[in-house]
Amino acid sequence: MSANESGIVNRLLATVEIKLILAWLIVVAATILLDPGRTYLNNPGSTAELIVRNTVFLGFFALGSAVIIISGGIDLSSGSVIALSATVFSSLLLLIDPEGFRAGEIQTGVVCIAAAGTLLVGAMVGTLNAWLITAAGLPPFIATLATMVGLRSFGRGLILAVTGNRSQIDFPDLELRDALKDVTSVSLVFLVFAVGIWFLMSRTVIGRHLHAMGGNEAAAKLSGIRTDRLKWLAYVIGAVSASMVGIVYFADQGSAKPDILARGYELNAIAASVIGGCALTGGIGTIPGTILGCLFLRTVIDAVNKIVGTGADVYEGMIVGIVVVLAVTFSQRGTASTQRAFFATRIGWAAVPVLSLISGISFVLFFREKPWYSPSYAVAFGVVVAACLIVRGLFESKRGK
Amino acid sequence: MEAVISIRNVGKRFNAVQALCGVSFDVLPGELHAVMGENGAGKSTLMKILSGVIDDYEGELWVAGQLQRFTGTRDAERVGISIIHQELNLVEQLSVAANIFLGREARGPLGLLNQREMDRQAGDLLQQLESSLSPSAMVSSLRVGDQQLIEIAKALSLNSSILIMDEPTSALTEAEVARLYGVIERLRRRGVTILYISHKMDEVFRLADRITVLRDGEFVKTVDRASTTPREIAHLMVGRELEVSRPRARSPEQPVVLQVKRLSLVWPGHSKAWRLNQVSFDLQRGEILGIAGLMGAGRTELLECLFGASALAPSGEILLRGKPQQFRHPADAMKAGIAMVTEDRKRLGLFSHMNVRENISLCGIESLAQLGMIRRAKERKATEQQIQQLCVKTDGTEASINSLSGGNQQKCILARCMLIEPQVLLLDDPTRGVDVGAKAELYRLMEQLAASGMSIIVTSSELPELLTVSDRILVLSEGVLTGEFSRAEATEQKIMEAATQQATRQTG
Repeated sequence: MSANESGIVNRLLATVEIKLILAWLIVVAATILLDPGRTYLNNPGSTAELIVRNTVFLGFFALGSAVIIISGGIDLSSGSVIALSATVFSSLLLLIDPEGFRAGEIQTGVVCIAAAGTLLVGAMVGTLNAWLITAAGLPPFIATLATMVGLRSFGRGLILAVTGNRSQIDFPDLELRDALKDVTSVSLVFLVFAVGIWFLMSRTVIGRHLHAMGGNEAAAKLSGIRTDRLKWLAYVIGAVSASMVGIVYFADQGSAKPDILARGYELNAIAASVIGGCALTGGIGTIPGTILGCLFLRTVIDAVNKIVGTGADVYEGMIVGIVVVLAVTFSQRGTASTQRAFFATRIGWAAVPVLSLISGISFVLFFREKPWYSPSYAVAFGVVVAACLIVRGLFESKRGK
Repeated sequence: MEAVISIRNVGKRFNAVQALCGVSFDVLPGELHAVMGENGAGKSTLMKILSGVIDDYEGELWVAGQLQRFTGTRDAERVGISIIHQELNLVEQLSVAANIFLGREARGPLGLLNQREMDRQAGDLLQQLESSLSPSAMVSSLRVGDQQLIEIAKALSLNSSILIMDEPTSALTEAEVARLYGVIERLRRRGVTILYISHKMDEVFRLADRITVLRDGEFVKTVDRASTTPREIAHLMVGRELEVSRPRARSPEQPVVLQVKRLSLVWPGHSKAWRLNQVSFDLQRGEILGIAGLMGAGRTELLECLFGASALAPSGEILLRGKPQQFRHPADAMKAGIAMVTEDRKRLGLFSHMNVRENISLCGIESLAQLGMIRRAKERKATEQQIQQLCVKTDGTEASINSLSGGNQQKCILARCMLIEPQVLLLDDPTRGVDVGAKAELYRLMEQLAASGMSIIVTSSELPELLTVSDRILVLSEGVLTGEFSRAEATEQKIMEAATQQATRQTG
């Protein structure tokens, strides 16, 4: 019995979800210790609100992305769909009720129609992606690369036509704007959405079929699964979830600018799914894992902002990149990550100066405005990193023998 | 005589499973040493150790008097050991020649690829194998049988003195097997030592000098072929006597379940134009119908047409219980009561990322769900019942499908079909890569199912197998039906004649 129980504990510890929760707690603890402004302790409410807001915004379309990845595909178009949806939503508000738009008082009915229209556009984009993939036979990467580029440009054209040559639409109604970007209500909607997607993926026939198709599409088809229809569903869920974000994001940002809105966000969604345990080869991944992946990613970004202080969004990409690499490396099954030779190979030794240089320069970037900063610290930091990596490499090559 | 390979107390453990335990035996230079045993006996694990695929094991391995510990297949190749795996290891997107010389490409003076030289050498090697394959042909365009020849050519190109063959004939047709025997004969004359893993008794007794039997990861015995019998070997392998399948009693006239009339399938862009040409036959209730034919004769294509799985729609008529059917998708065929077990288990059958329960319940999941929601208790019960009925050896419903042996994986796929309670079951080479014991069980299952009224169409690359299980045998040759034999009149001779009939007429 005790062997059985320890087996269950081990299996629980081995899940991505538990690992992520532990890693998240470590990041929170580190932030409390290292944050010079002590914001977690002095201002817990607003900090939590910020993290929840960012997590929920990312969560919506990361879940859509996770469904697509689990089904064996990939969606590069979600960032562009967010931009297009914000454009469509604002354009519909403007076109249906120009008077109210100008006056800054839009009727609830109009908002509902515009929102429904926007989600319908999302469904249509999903259908377009699915059609390109199933009927035209394009690989998902190519199909959604085309829609990613195409839809953003389509949105820019649309906004020119609607506004008469302006490149953005500003949010007209302050009250409505506050209502749409309200963290509590957006979080509640997200909760319902997430529970729905989780239920779909883990409890229904469709979810089982999506997992099966993601792992082995040919076998799924020969098992009588209508794979084309499933793909349509996956891409529609992905695009509609991005459309929801588009509406909320329009309110949050205060204007719909299709040329820059949500640019590159599709990669954050894919990153969050991967951190949450989804395999890009398909078939593997969970919804709770993906949500935790979003939470972890946003918390790390927030933590670095707090600790470093300056340049809030400049380093976001760097952080996402590092977190993805670390998360995937350390979630590799079994002995792969502990027994692997990271530096005791030719490429490994070649990577040592690269990593040391990046570390040293990052030190300059992060801390150059701190009162205690001096260039010699940056050099020392780079040297220490290099020394650590070399020691690790020597240890690995010794173990290899 | 000094042993060329000495295996001393070799053991290997995969987590909780002891795959090998204290195995010791010698292989003599120049001999063909067969290693036999049921699936899970540890043959493949031992061969992986010998060829450097597995490097963490207990015990010692001596090759030509030297203690060796390989850390990769390159190490093994350096001392002259090559392996031809049961699961083929080819890059499908590359040409035949590129695969043979993968990682050892011929280079010109500037370090550029010397394609002509590689093509020439590949052509020579293929000629030694009496194959007319073009070195520049794309591997993905070749059937399994030809792909395996490329693996053999690859091993030949390494000039190995020790060759390990892991079930080399499991995917070959009779003609290709005969060709392989010729190749083996030539290799032996060159003095190559061959370790030969097989389930096929006749093959081993034809080729081997000595036979080593493993059971449950342990060494049982090494015997001289001349002083043993297939019966003794089978006994050593399973530790019990195998029952020989008896002819079943079946009332001769049963209602026709499936009628196929003038079924044809075009082959665009190919000189033959037809994969299947005007195939017509009937299938009765409770009948086991065998489909024989050489590789490329259209066996798989015929089953795919009946299952709605062919890339192009076939012409002709398919009538199920008198009603004409047009299957556009396997889902249509399954709804009408037809199920299929595919030939390529790993690629077209298994969901390796899912557990045993999910693999078994997949096709019948709709009936285990309410309003689209899976009822877990019901699902588990249904799977457990199938596991019990088909005697699947598994560590419960939640075990990974990868932890099962080939035969048990095949039973899981069969169980998946059973859950939709089909009237017609299509089995495409169901015993490929399955050991003797599991084969006998699969035959017994097929007979049980047929006795309960299910109609079965089965193909096989082994004629004796078809002769054992079938009530009737149809023979295909290049997409044309060239023979039909009842159980009583069928012989290997007659079937081979029919299977080669069309081919000779065309070439002659």
